[in-house]
Amino acid sequence: MEQNRTWKCAKCDKELVLKKMLFSYLGHTFSHEIMRCPKCGNGLIPKELAEGRMAEVEAQLEDK
Amino acid sequence: MKLEESKVFVNDCFSGEPASCSYACPFGLDIRFFMERVRKGRWIPAYKMFRDTVIFPVIVSRLCPQPCRNNCQRPSIGDEPLAVRDLEYACTLYALNRRPENFVIPPKTQRIAIIGAGPAGLSCALNLAQKNFHVILFEKETGWGGELRAHPDFKLFDEEIALQFSSTRVDFEFNREIGSLDELTGFDAIYVATGKNGATFDLMESRDSDLMNTSRPGVFMGGALCGVPLMESIAQGSLLARIMEAYFQTGRAARPDSDRVITDRVHFLNHSGEEKKALVTMASPDCYTEGEAKAEASRCFLCDCKICWENCEMIKWFRKMPPRLGVEVYTDSQAGSSLSKRSLIRETYSCNICGKCKSVCPVGVDIGALMQFSREDRLRTNKNIPAFHDFWIRQFDFHTSEAFFVSPSKEMKSCEYLFFPGCQLGAAEPDHVLKSYAYLQETLNAGIMVGCCGAPAYWAGDKKRLSGNVERIRSIWDSMDRPTFIFACAYCENIFRLLMPEIKQESLYTVMAKDDTIVPARLFEAAAMFDPCTARDDLSMQEGIRILAGRANVAIEELDNPNRCCGYGGHMRLANPGLYEEITKHRKDASDKPYIVYCANCREVFRQKGKECAHILDMVYEIDQGKCAPTLKSQKENALEVKKKLMKRLIGDDFIPEKHEWDSIRLIISQELQDELDRKLIIEDDLKEAIWLAERTGERFLSDDGVFQCSMVKSVLTYWVQYKELATGEYEIQSAYIHRMKFNREG
Repeated sequence: MEQNRTWKCAKCDKELVLKKMLFSYLGHTFSHEIMRCPKCGNGLIPKELAEGRMAEVEAQLEDK
Repeated sequence: MKLEESKVFVNDCFSGEPASCSYACPFGLDIRFFMERVRKGRWIPAYKMFRDTVIFPVIVSRLCPQPCRNNCQRPSIGDEPLAVRDLEYACTLYALNRRPENFVIPPKTQRIAIIGAGPAGLSCALNLAQKNFHVILFEKETGWGGELRAHPDFKLFDEEIALQFSSTRVDFEFNREIGSLDELTGFDAIYVATGKNGATFDLMESRDSDLMNTSRPGVFMGGALCGVPLMESIAQGSLLARIMEAYFQTGRAARPDSDRVITDRVHFLNHSGEEKKALVTMASPDCYTEGEAKAEASRCFLCDCKICWENCEMIKWFRKMPPRLGVEVYTDSQAGSSLSKRSLIRETYSCNICGKCKSVCPVGVDIGALMQFSREDRLRTNKNIPAFHDFWIRQFDFHTSEAFFVSPSKEMKSCEYLFFPGCQLGAAEPDHVLKSYAYLQETLNAGIMVGCCGAPAYWAGDKKRLSGNVERIRSIWDSMDRPTFIFACAYCENIFRLLMPEIKQESLYTVMAKDDTIVPARLFEAAAMFDPCTARDDLSMQEGIRILAGRANVAIEELDNPNRCCGYGGHMRLANPGLYEEITKHRKDASDKPYIVYCANCREVFRQKGKECAHILDMVYEIDQGKCAPTLKSQKENALEVKKKLMKRLIGDDFIPEKHEWDSIRLIISQELQDELDRKLIIEDDLKEAIWLAERTGERFLSDDGVFQCSMVKSVLTYWVQYKELATGEYEIQSAYIHRMKFNREG
């Protein structure tokens, strides 16, 4: 169900688009493409990303 | 941080060092390493290390008086010591390739004269020749061997000497007696090894027994001439070669640091659980067969201390022994750039800091103290990981502010006793605090302080929070005429003993044990006693609990290895969830009986893991048996309820908790999701706040099937909530999760 949902920014009433977003953790900065509102730029991080790849990268950076 | 500062915690650890037998060996042979190879029949590597250490394996394996056997640990269970020399000899027979290795080393310019081709002179000559020094050996007899020439096995030794010299160049001048050292010109060093009663060239009195040098620069003296026994004479050869090297480089004879044998580190371990094994006898009179030798070597205990390893899942998990941890704490503190990887972050924050290692270590090495030192250093230098401890630091802040309460007994200004139940007891079960306090108030007219000892700040390495809390408690204690604190939690006791030793202590359970009108309920017919790690040194508390449980007529089983941390200690759960699961599973499975616990954290951990357990206060007040662990939300509510009731009872005031604009929001959360949120340590209040914020600002996402999603950054975490609006102010939560990274929408 999660994958099939399409999200829009409720504030700007815009469909989300895939766009680069800057991430930072423990002094490291990098960018990654996520779904974002084309107008206000707010980004949506799905659970799979937060608890999957992001958690992995967090752990790697913590060990650095 | 300096290296010495972190190493001081582990300096006494002797794990990985040579075993006791090696300390007795004139050569310092690593006998454990040797036995490990021999038991597997790995003759060549065994021979190689033996040869590299003793220079003349055949001579040593025939003539060594084996002082190692006096230090063998097998006799501690009534067996004979290992037949070390016979195994060494077997090794010289079964190693197929005994040819000395020939290393390509650039030739040195120095020339060394050695007077005397006995064992001492030969050993030194060979050691120097292997380093490619130019060595000339003068011998008054017709051949080499010195005192060995008279030995019945000299033919064997003669072959051995020839073999060992076969791939190096040494010029032998036999039939050449040196009458005066002035005959030897053009040499950078001279070694006088003329054997028993040999020529001393009037230098004996000036000889330094440690460095073997004499008053004449560059002239050294050793071996039987100086009364050194045979094995030691051979061993001296390799030491002297290194002393001479130092002399050539610096002009001063010096002993390499690594050669200093620290004999007081010889440690004998406890082998009481080991199987007895008799000495393997030889079928043939001369030597062991290969099979016999392997069997004999298998009797070796391979003595090495691993007691902490055996008692600690953390050390096992990371496979690092204390000496390495000590060095890595230092190297980590020096790693600064984003390129250098730190090696000990996870370890530092994975420790329960439970003191088990220290309690089992023969020399009291405390890895928890090392990790605590590292945590404090990391926080001070901003090399900590805030997300590992943020949840508990927030709890600490809550328990020392909003939930904090202190009062003497009703209508009193000071008190003789002050009950300090700790932050977790009331959060888990309000009655544990309220009823115990009612009892203490009635019997001792005690006051009460509901707060936190500071353990979460301590474990986070947060000295600032910790000292602030200590100062506050101390000044209240002072203002109440210095009452004795009565604790319900052994960890609070430990923290107080460490940071506020001037405050007198008493345990709630020893107070109750003295009162035989207290008869706890028999919640179990039989149970195992799970003593917390923190009560390890408090024998009177342990005894008090047993008296109380005995009154309940519960058959008590004692655990084989008690006082191990349930997993809660050190707040390592977020730093290493996998290890946390392993530790909690081990503890849960230590007995199939239900547990009696007397630490609120043990109770919480075991209930979360589905282990039937009762706190001793559950038994005293006959409450809550078998119920699930309280949710995070109810823990907070419980803590506030305790404060509210105490305030009413003691001061007559109504407690008004802090108000938030999101308090009126109602969330519908399924039990399954609630369990998941508790596992992830996500608090309901934070979800309410995130939704309230999203609804107010409008910053949220909407799916085509009417689900909202919003995020909120709080402290070091970003919270995400998916929800459906059921009615105004009422939301059904579909999912919630957190991450530690921050994102920047301007980027």
